[in-house]
Amino acid sequence: MSSLPGRHRGAALTRRHALALPFLAALPRAARAAPQSITDAVGRVVTLKAPLERIVTIFSYEELTAIGGPAVWDRVVGIGRKQWAGYRAANWARYRAAIPRLDELADVGIADDKSFSVERTLSLRPDLLIVHEFAFRSMAPLMEQIQAVGVPILVIDYNAQDPAKTVASTLALGAVAGMPDRARALADLYQDRMRDIAARVTGKPAPCVYIEIGSAGAGTFGNTYNNVMWGRMIEAAGGTNIAKDNIPIGWAPMAPEAVLAGAPDFVFILGSSWTNMPNAVRAGYDYDLETARRSLAPYAERPGWSALPAIRAGELHVIETGLARSLPDWIATQYIAKQLNPGAFADVDPVESLRKYHETFLPIRFEGTWMARLRSPGA
Amino acid sequence: MDGPIAVARRLNQKRVTKDGSAVDGWRAANARRIVTIILAGCGLAACLALDVATGPAMLPIGAVISALTGSSSDPMLNAIVWSLRLPIALMAIAVGASLGISGAVMQTILNNPLASSYTLGISAGAGFGAALVILFGAALPLPEIWSIPIAAFAFAGVACALVAGVGRMRGATPELLVLAGIACLFLFQALLSLLQFLASPEALQQIVFWLFGSLLRASLGKVAIVSLVLAIVLPMLLADAWRLTALQLGDERAGALGVRVRSLRLRAFVVVSLLTGAAVAFVGTIGFIGLVAPHIARMLVGEDQRHLLPASAVFGALLLSAASVASKLIIPGTVFPIGIVTALIGVPFFGWLVFATGRRR
Repeated sequence: MSSLPGRHRGAALTRRHALALPFLAALPRAARAAPQSITDAVGRVVTLKAPLERIVTIFSYEELTAIGGPAVWDRVVGIGRKQWAGYRAANWARYRAAIPRLDELADVGIADDKSFSVERTLSLRPDLLIVHEFAFRSMAPLMEQIQAVGVPILVIDYNAQDPAKTVASTLALGAVAGMPDRARALADLYQDRMRDIAARVTGKPAPCVYIEIGSAGAGTFGNTYNNVMWGRMIEAAGGTNIAKDNIPIGWAPMAPEAVLAGAPDFVFILGSSWTNMPNAVRAGYDYDLETARRSLAPYAERPGWSALPAIRAGELHVIETGLARSLPDWIATQYIAKQLNPGAFADVDPVESLRKYHETFLPIRFEGTWMARLRSPGA
Repeated sequence: MDGPIAVARRLNQKRVTKDGSAVDGWRAANARRIVTIILAGCGLAACLALDVATGPAMLPIGAVISALTGSSSDPMLNAIVWSLRLPIALMAIAVGASLGISGAVMQTILNNPLASSYTLGISAGAGFGAALVILFGAALPLPEIWSIPIAAFAFAGVACALVAGVGRMRGATPELLVLAGIACLFLFQALLSLLQFLASPEALQQIVFWLFGSLLRASLGKVAIVSLVLAIVLPMLLADAWRLTALQLGDERAGALGVRVRSLRLRAFVVVSLLTGAAVAFVGTIGFIGLVAPHIARMLVGEDQRHLLPASAVFGALLLSAASVASKLIIPGTVFPIGIVTALIGVPFFGWLVFATGRRR
């Protein structure tokens, strides 16, 4: 990973730091034996029982693994299985091979398809439930039922792409896993990298960027993002998001002609290992560069796209969609930033960053295609 | 009220036995209907017991009984039985009964077999109210757990008032009322879609969650509220039973029999609004019950409202309670969404009933 911390300037940056401070200050040095109070991603103070032996969690499993190491799963009794095995099958296959206990964990259901079961959760006699902010809010009545029984709920939020919440979530998971130092290291790494990106792009031109999810293939205009997830990452990477004035805050498809009118200088299509999606763009552990590129190629042939500045300049890229809403999302931000301002990131190699992240924090081997251009420069 | 009684008796003439007097036959038919309702009530009690006995925690039946009798000191077991299963099981009955009755009243006063609180936009109104609070309710001094049901309840009333407002216009026929209800459905669906379009992804998910009918949000307090509304409204409706039965003859004849048709219709609308609003406010949109329970009841006990109303309540409750049990048994260990189950088991049952009764005639 490249260093070069750079200068810390810019109002946005200092505001983010100010936001992060209360979270950092609120966290005492963890001691596993005694109950401790921690502040979660939405500012709630949660008192953790000690030791935690029966954790149920329904989101951000790979973050928990990175922070707590594989051993943390010995103290987990239930997960929302579909979130992992269903939505990120390639990742699940690797993690369960590395951590056999994952297969034995009870399934409590997930928020997205309304399958989450309070009764199933309580029957596991959990001493902590970890949920993401979206689940906590959208299933508020169910969350109250659980808290009424005295099971504490810890809310994490990597979805917001808000550094303060990412840091708070990471430190909270560190306290849960009894790994405060590793969590601190990950949080510091995250903040340091994001600051580094901000410092490098300050004062640089902000080219127009269009990003689209490629789950249905080039024939369908998939969702793009405004001010959430990838929308925020485009801005953090120093780009101008052409979706900003074209869709409401959140995610929605943009009208094809609005994409043409937006004349993006860079286009990023999000790929993954979706199942039953024959036209989807492929990315992630399972796919080599050739496969990923072959699935990306039809996008360059979309009506009118040959005239787009991005296509003319060969700036059509694939990124693995799971890199958003994750602890290593700074790596995807780094990749976007590097394409936009290659000169400022000459010493930065995002794919190498991701490899190193795997080697340092994850129990599985890095492989496959995660971030790539349709054609190599000059090809 | 001699006129309506005589007419109601005539409505039941089909049931006159060959050798006995008309009155005796009528009494026998009445007894048969009451037995039908009692049998359905027994089925309902069985469903209630099954609903409490089953669940994704796969508790042994002995454990459930010990929790129910208060002899268990295991807090988790008590929580599952008393805070989760019992409220859900009772809510299924209270909501099913409310929707069954409101559907029966709607079909009666509009003289239309397709009328229900769902098809006439009252549920859509409630959904719009809930979405409104999810989006803009942060400023309200109430916690969301109460402000959302209150708004849903209020907008169910607004939807009802819109339809009833048309009913107060000169010469408004039941057909016009049904049209007004369907227009109301489309209006609130469009408004709801507009809110969904404007919503942030998080708020959108919350709205979708709310709209997706579910008993899982039940608590004993909410059950008490729905039951209270039911307990207030049912006697009011039963007091109007003869007049509602007479309404089956059409507005003019009912009027000639001394029924003040307009005020009856308005009164019934208010009652339906209360019932549907209270039920939908806590469980979201469950569409099928209100339409079908009254039809099942009508096939089995006939048009006489004294029987039809309680029977619609019992069959509505039975349908939803059975769906609640089935939703837990389809895939053991998980709870299948109740809205899907209700239609999937309700439609074949309904089809069988139509087929069977059709053949008998």
